[in-house]
Amino acid sequence: PGGTTKTRRPDNTAFKQQRLPAWQPFLTAGTVLPTFFIIGLIFIPIGIGIFVTSNNIREIEIDYTGIEPSSPCNKCLSPVETPCICTINFTLEKSFEGNVFMYYGLSNFYQNHRRYVKSRDDSQLNGDRSALLNPSKECEPYRRNEDKPIAPCGAIANSMFNDTLELFLVANESDPTLMLIPLKRRGIAWWTDKNVKFRNPPGTESLKERFKDTTHPVNWLKPVYELDPEDEDNNGFINEDFIVWMRTAALPTFRKLYRLIERKNDLHPTLPAGRYYLNITYNYPVHSFDGRKRMILSTVSWMGGKNPFLGIAYITIGSISFLLGVVLLVINHKYRNSSNTADITI
Amino acid sequence: MSRSWLLCGMKPLQGSTHFSLGNQKVEKRMGCQQSLQSSEVLKVRTIYINDPLKNTFCTNSISTTKYSKWSFLPRYLYLQFSKAANAFFLFITILQQIPGVSPIGQYTTLLPLLVILAISGIKEVVEDYKRYMADKVVNSKTTSVFRQNSWHVIKWHEVNVGDIVKTLNEEFLPADMILISSSEPQSMCYVATANLDGETNLKIRQASLEVAGIIKEGQLVNLDGKIECEEPDRQFNNFVGTLYLRGKSPISVGPDQMLLRGTQLKNTQWIIGVVIYTGFETKLMQNSVKSPLKRSQVEKVTNMQILILLLLLFVISAVSCVGATIWNKMYLENIWYMGISGITPHNHVFDILVFIILYHNLVPISLLLTLETVKFIQAQFINWDEDMHYEQNDLYAMARTSNLNEELGQVKYLFSDKTGTLTCNTMAFKKCTIAGIIYGNHSDNTDDGNENLSRASFCEFNDPKLLENFEDGHPSSEYIKEFLTLLCVCHTVIPERCGNDILYQASSPDEAALVKGAKKLGFVFTTRTPYSVTIEVMTETHTFEILNILEFSSNRKRMSIIVRTPAGHLRLYCKGADTVIYERLSKDSLFVEDTLKHLEIFATEGLRTLCIAYTDLTETEYQDWLQEYKKASAVSQNRIQRLEECYEIIEKEFLLLGATAIEDRLQANVPETISTLLKANIKIWVLTGDKQETAVNIAFSCKLISSTTPRIYLNADSFEAAQQTINHNCGDLGNLLGKENDLALIIDGETLKYALRFEIQKKFLDLALSCRAVLCCRLSPLQKAEIVDLVKKHEEAITLAVGDGANDVGMIRMAHVGVGISGNEGMQATNNSDYSIAQFRYLEKLLLVHGTWNYFRVTKCILYSFYKNVVLYIIGLWFSFVNGFSGQIIFEHWCISLYNVIFTSLPPLTLGIFEKCCSQKSLLEYPQLYTVFQTGEMFNTKVFWIQCINALIHSFILFWFPTKMLEHDMILRHGYTTDYLFLGNFIYSYVVVTVCLKAGLETTSWNRINMVLSCPHFWMGFLLVPTTCLIQNFFWKLIKNTYKRGLLEEIQELESRKDSILEHSEIFEKRMTAASLAVSFSTQPCEIFFRDDSVDLSAPHGYAFSQTEGAVVTQEELVRAYDTAKMENSRISKRSSDFSEIF
Repeated sequence: PGGTTKTRRPDNTAFKQQRLPAWQPFLTAGTVLPTFFIIGLIFIPIGIGIFVTSNNIREIEIDYTGIEPSSPCNKCLSPVETPCICTINFTLEKSFEGNVFMYYGLSNFYQNHRRYVKSRDDSQLNGDRSALLNPSKECEPYRRNEDKPIAPCGAIANSMFNDTLELFLVANESDPTLMLIPLKRRGIAWWTDKNVKFRNPPGTESLKERFKDTTHPVNWLKPVYELDPEDEDNNGFINEDFIVWMRTAALPTFRKLYRLIERKNDLHPTLPAGRYYLNITYNYPVHSFDGRKRMILSTVSWMGGKNPFLGIAYITIGSISFLLGVVLLVINHKYRNSSNTADITI
Repeated sequence: MSRSWLLCGMKPLQGSTHFSLGNQKVEKRMGCQQSLQSSEVLKVRTIYINDPLKNTFCTNSISTTKYSKWSFLPRYLYLQFSKAANAFFLFITILQQIPGVSPIGQYTTLLPLLVILAISGIKEVVEDYKRYMADKVVNSKTTSVFRQNSWHVIKWHEVNVGDIVKTLNEEFLPADMILISSSEPQSMCYVATANLDGETNLKIRQASLEVAGIIKEGQLVNLDGKIECEEPDRQFNNFVGTLYLRGKSPISVGPDQMLLRGTQLKNTQWIIGVVIYTGFETKLMQNSVKSPLKRSQVEKVTNMQILILLLLLFVISAVSCVGATIWNKMYLENIWYMGISGITPHNHVFDILVFIILYHNLVPISLLLTLETVKFIQAQFINWDEDMHYEQNDLYAMARTSNLNEELGQVKYLFSDKTGTLTCNTMAFKKCTIAGIIYGNHSDNTDDGNENLSRASFCEFNDPKLLENFEDGHPSSEYIKEFLTLLCVCHTVIPERCGNDILYQASSPDEAALVKGAKKLGFVFTTRTPYSVTIEVMTETHTFEILNILEFSSNRKRMSIIVRTPAGHLRLYCKGADTVIYERLSKDSLFVEDTLKHLEIFATEGLRTLCIAYTDLTETEYQDWLQEYKKASAVSQNRIQRLEECYEIIEKEFLLLGATAIEDRLQANVPETISTLLKANIKIWVLTGDKQETAVNIAFSCKLISSTTPRIYLNADSFEAAQQTINHNCGDLGNLLGKENDLALIIDGETLKYALRFEIQKKFLDLALSCRAVLCCRLSPLQKAEIVDLVKKHEEAITLAVGDGANDVGMIRMAHVGVGISGNEGMQATNNSDYSIAQFRYLEKLLLVHGTWNYFRVTKCILYSFYKNVVLYIIGLWFSFVNGFSGQIIFEHWCISLYNVIFTSLPPLTLGIFEKCCSQKSLLEYPQLYTVFQTGEMFNTKVFWIQCINALIHSFILFWFPTKMLEHDMILRHGYTTDYLFLGNFIYSYVVVTVCLKAGLETTSWNRINMVLSCPHFWMGFLLVPTTCLIQNFFWKLIKNTYKRGLLEEIQELESRKDSILEHSEIFEKRMTAASLAVSFSTQPCEIFFRDDSVDLSAPHGYAFSQTEGAVVTQEELVRAYDTAKMENSRISKRSSDFSEIF
């Protein structure tokens, strides 16, 4: 009587009877020793290739924080001097060819701090009208200023990097005339950022009209629609310097793309070897938190900028793998006879 | 009946109440329980017969569902959130709703939690719906009820208290009733109580004769009166009530008039009863309580590990909190860009909450669901297994719970019931010795293998020599005739003619086997009248007048019958144990030595032997004795004792005829299975309610013990004696105590009662554990459970109890894993078990294959789940070191919530479902493999820590490699710089890949953001990072496989080499032949010198006989009550008249 006696005939399939064919690789030194050597043999050349590529990339880094008293920018550390302009000169030993990218780098700047990261309003930046006039609470304490909503709101926008860097080539050692290197302001932001994530408030009237009833961030000198005095279309939330800044870096030491120096033609290097002047309008204070400011010039290869780590890592892992292979080979040779299956009794 | 009404709601130790009617010892126990209860004020319920409107009691419908429509949601949520892990995640979800606390969004935990709750919710609904449907089937069974002066067929749930119900043969009783009339003589009826107590012999119930008389004379319409009885309780054998019929004196009714719901009417055309308890108030339903929730060892360890992880979580949170405090002190004041000055700094409680939320996913949220799914499918694999399909009943193995799948892989002690588990509970007359000649000794091939044939014919005695000798006038021909005549006459069997065939109804299966055996040899027992039996021998009819029946009891170990032969002689026929018969042999008795030798042969084979003897009586001798007998039967006190003394007088001067050997059929392949299980280092204890002799017989026949195994008998009648025997034996064992010896320990229930006393139970256990085999006999269900409990408590090992009857319910529920043998009459064991199988032999596959695989899979799955979560979420800790312990998360929010639900949900599932440590073939071929898992070394805290540290290393590599790679933020061809999410996606992808590779699988659907994919660094690192992580694991595995190999590794290698795959059946056959050749245990002689006389080194005795004792109707009354010659006619007339004559 009862439920269990009902007929239930399951399909006699391989799955239900757990007879699915299975491949059970059994790893022993004998069978997989080659794997270690193969890994080694593949990794080491890759590593060398990457390392060489990385080494061929030209890169120069100029620290212009002005901590050292001898530095021309030392004077700018005191907050009294505004605006403070300082000039640093440096020499390129070898010419930079192809497109050259100019970065600014900050150290000990915690863009990845939770309170900092969340202090923004993405819908405001996306041109949402209601968010423009009523920014998210996340932006506190940079949400409103004098009863006006801040656009763009939040700590990230408020602390936007505002040094101005200019690069001059000393064309000729005897001739003191300086040649201004043309720096391109456009094309430094991700396409998706510029066209999808960041949008100005909609409307046909002028930007100033559209940002009416808002105020600029506390630390800014000018409103968001006047960020780029030279290019009307590079203003408002779609200002590329602004967009670049708004991508918060992962580490406290980071670089951000500042300007592009485009390749002129095949005959002349973009930046020939020689002496350069870096003209800095020093606005951005980092001294209070022991930060550093740098200017970086770099070319890129197929794998981006200079970074020897990957190559070294490949070479190291490849070598370790190779070494392990050798160790195993030795052990295997030594203990070959010790392993047998005699202790199984039926 | 369908649903799990489970017996005995009390804790098993307190009292399993479903004892057989015959078991006196148990009833003593019950007596004390009753006295306990009677101290409470007994409430009385009054039932008005035939007037249902006056009775207001609960309806007869039952419901075993867990939820109702309305209670589902609250109850379900309550159950879910009472699980610690779910509650934890609920807590986290709530925390996340506090604005500003959660670094990972508000819904990252809520979403997966909802998915998980939804899935288990659906599962619950489906299961509950099944229960609901099963209840519905039960509630809509039909029965006849007498209402408004006629019989109505109504559904069970419409039956009310006070109704007069008629039930026909083979039907189940719809409610608890008082029997008032039946078709049988003296208003008797038979009921099968297998559903309640698991006993296969039928119980006799008898209506009070006064009532029966009234009903017979009168009309049911006029039946008017009331019953006063006690309120419903759960005692099966306890009922007191009084029947007041109008105009009659009160009639008391007791358990003998009680018919319980769940029992089945047998061998009785119809009965009429008055309903007294319905629905939930029936004794059956009163006894239904939920099975105790069993949790597997692995689950306990897992819970422990989750706790450790929680602790780890708090430690990490605290560390981060301290880090945050230090960092804030050092930097925060000077950081102008954060805009902190305007905000009051957060306090530590707030900080720690942030970090708890940040790291809370260290505890894998999907683990419970994954495990549930995996175990569900594993259970399905058990259900689907064709190798555990019993063709005959079309029964598959059934996993009734999936909680304990992995426990099957770690069993150390197996407690087995005997009847119905090891044996089929069918007796067959197999061999005999008559006048010193052994018959039936030639081997028959139907023994194993072709089970269908042998089952069909109960009698397997087919030695043509016997009949030849009888017919050809062999010198022993007369003895043969006398022997077979005795088998036909000396018994209490009742014949029932069924067409041309005769069926025998017997409460003793031994007697039935003997009578059937005799019938096959041409001595057919045809008719029983109150004072005679008629047998047919070679077409001649002989009628023996039965003068006296000298009843069987287990003290007397024999049963005699005094008859007047057709020739007019007085003769006493006796059958009984060799010991008691041999004491009473006359000096003239022949074949004494030969028979003794043959008895020994039978006993060694595990056959149940009975000696057969007779003696002729003179008239005067008999008349003298009859006087004594009448005197003895008239005594009111100690009548049974007096009668037995009286029997003793006449049972003497026996002449030996020979002996019978009955096979208590073992189930198929039991000896082979036992030998395999022993090889797998599983200790087998037989716990039976049956007699000691029977248990020993079975132990021999299933090769648990051999004839050379010394047997320690613990039979003591006092605590001191028991203590002394145990101490002596422990002393004799000396150093061998605690090691496994080739010894058998046999103990009976009475002695066990003393042995389980606190003072000596440890010593007893030590002794028992030093023996290869332990047989416990004459146990009450409670004692079975107590033994299991004893081992469970003192040995840190997994116990498994297997049984088929309701008397095994206690131990099935007590053991870590309870296995029920299904397909027999009783459902109690099955309904209380965790797994049910149709045959004992399927245990082999269940344990060795399913158990091992499940354990392997579940542990792998759990460790892997821990691993993958630790790998991903510890990265948050590494990131904290570079972001000033602010609690910022490096991944996108949805990545976190989908990690467990989508990206890495498949690997643990596939691990849990498809992973195999070795093939089925190897597992069955080398049972020793089982020992690898038994110890639980695959899964303990150490393994867990290793896995955690491994995960820690991996997460370290997975975080720092990409971080270093992206150090300068310039990794794109266009010179664009990146943000933290870019790095996060890098790391996340690597984690997913590494974790999936770690599972040794193809990549799951992990595709992410085109920008990341277009970055060459990504692809370069893609090769590097996972390789770096896994190279160390790879290396370790290699080292382990090559130089630190255990048995498992050996087999694995063996397997990967072999290409031919043998089917399971082939292996089984191969091994079966091997097993029958080799004895299942070492045959080295036991060298222990035993001084105690409890140790039996001699050859075994084979005596065993089962017969109901101390029932309502004595054996003699029963025999005298039947007149099968008359009954034939009356039955036919009853059938045709459709019971109308009584109304």
